[in-house]
Amino acid sequence: MKKKFVFTIALVLGAMVLAGCGKKETASDTWADLEARGTVIVGLDDTFVPMGFKDENGQMTGFDVELAVEALGRMGLEPVFQPIDWNLKETELSSKNIDLIWNGYTITEERREKVNFTTPYLDNQQSIVVLAGSDIMDKAALEGRAVATQNSSSALAAIEAEGAMEAFKDGNVVLFDTYNDAFMDLEAGRVDAVVADEILARYYIATRGEAQYRVLEEDFGDEEYGVGVRKGDETLLEKLNEALDAMKADGSAAAISEKWFGENIVK
Amino acid sequence: MVEIMEMMPLMLEGMKTTLWVFFLTALFSIPLGMVACTLRLSRNRALQTLMQAYILVVRGTPLLLQLIFIYFGLPLVGVRLDREVAVVIAFVVNYAAYYTEIFRGGVLSISLGQYEAAKVLGLSKFQTFFGIVLPQVVKRVLPPVGNELITLVKDTSLVYVLGLGDVLRAAKTLSNKQASLVPLFVAGLLYLLLIAAVTFFLKKTENRYDYYR
Repeated sequence: MKKKFVFTIALVLGAMVLAGCGKKETASDTWADLEARGTVIVGLDDTFVPMGFKDENGQMTGFDVELAVEALGRMGLEPVFQPIDWNLKETELSSKNIDLIWNGYTITEERREKVNFTTPYLDNQQSIVVLAGSDIMDKAALEGRAVATQNSSSALAAIEAEGAMEAFKDGNVVLFDTYNDAFMDLEAGRVDAVVADEILARYYIATRGEAQYRVLEEDFGDEEYGVGVRKGDETLLEKLNEALDAMKADGSAAAISEKWFGENIVK
Repeated sequence: MVEIMEMMPLMLEGMKTTLWVFFLTALFSIPLGMVACTLRLSRNRALQTLMQAYILVVRGTPLLLQLIFIYFGLPLVGVRLDREVAVVIAFVVNYAAYYTEIFRGGVLSISLGQYEAAKVLGLSKFQTFFGIVLPQVVKRVLPPVGNELITLVKDTSLVYVLGLGDVLRAAKTLSNKQASLVPLFVAGLLYLLLIAAVTFFLKKTENRYDYYR
């Protein structure tokens, strides 16, 4: 009797799991739904200064946030900013909890398999930051040293792509949840270098004091930021590209860039 | 000091999340724990096994994973929950499992002699449980229940994984923005204040039930 009971439960649970796995992600275009709703849910890591973050009053602000408000406004849609855990961004997108990933989101081949990207709107490079007094002058000097970066970041992907981590201390990269933690570890002297998005590193160094840090001439490669759109949302992707192109053309993107970075770095 | 005042609006915004997660979980998990404990102690073997399985699964996996499964896993079988709802369900189901075991310990700690004495005095089963056993159980489980409540205050920080902004996330954002450790320290103080309040409330409750000393 009891065995039968347990068996039935196991069967039902198993069937549920299989049904879940078996269901193909239907690559449908949700544009009609978005238009009817009038809003687009923009997923972002709200700790990512200066791209998208909450200010002291709890208001969502930042370069990407202003860009999104403007671009989506031109499409007649209102953005709703939804903070997410950066490690789960693609999961949030594919399960339709969010409609866009827009937060200094680097275009990589690996990510292209899971999401569609708009045309790039910003150049970035993976800078190597060390303390001002450090003896590390180039990439080769990182051999045997402790190197830190953010988990699930494009910096990590760039390091992996170059196969550079073999040479680092313990053959691994020290991973933190936020870049801030990585920089604090650098200051504490437990890691010797931090590999970070140039955009973010620039902000951090400016806030903490220019004299404390040095950015190496060499880096872990150039890359581009794009907006992540769900596979299948072709209409949204197309309209967003049009809006971004128009903003680059009429100078409104440049104005937002100048406000946040002091110069126009939008491409 | 000016810096600290500046960060307060966002911190208090985060505190709201921390507080509602705490209160809703405490409110629902304790009654659910009582129900589950009753089932666990029932004579029905199937119910006993079912409860044991529930406790094993919930205590045997991290709360963080349970949050992720409930929010991201359930949609695969057609159940879509809001972030807030998913958080409350995960926390309540998780904490109820611990309360189940605490309450079971409390009930089992009452000696058999008391049941026999009640029987001799002609009390019904209902009278024995609610008049003799339960009041003693309440007193005995208060300290471990308090332990769980205090752990709960700190566990609320796990909601970051579903993108909810609690005190700790607010502090991390501010810490990134100001590139300083001060916001994290302030968050620590806020937790400490909250737990001091919970501790005070627990002590008052214990004193109230201490009528035989």
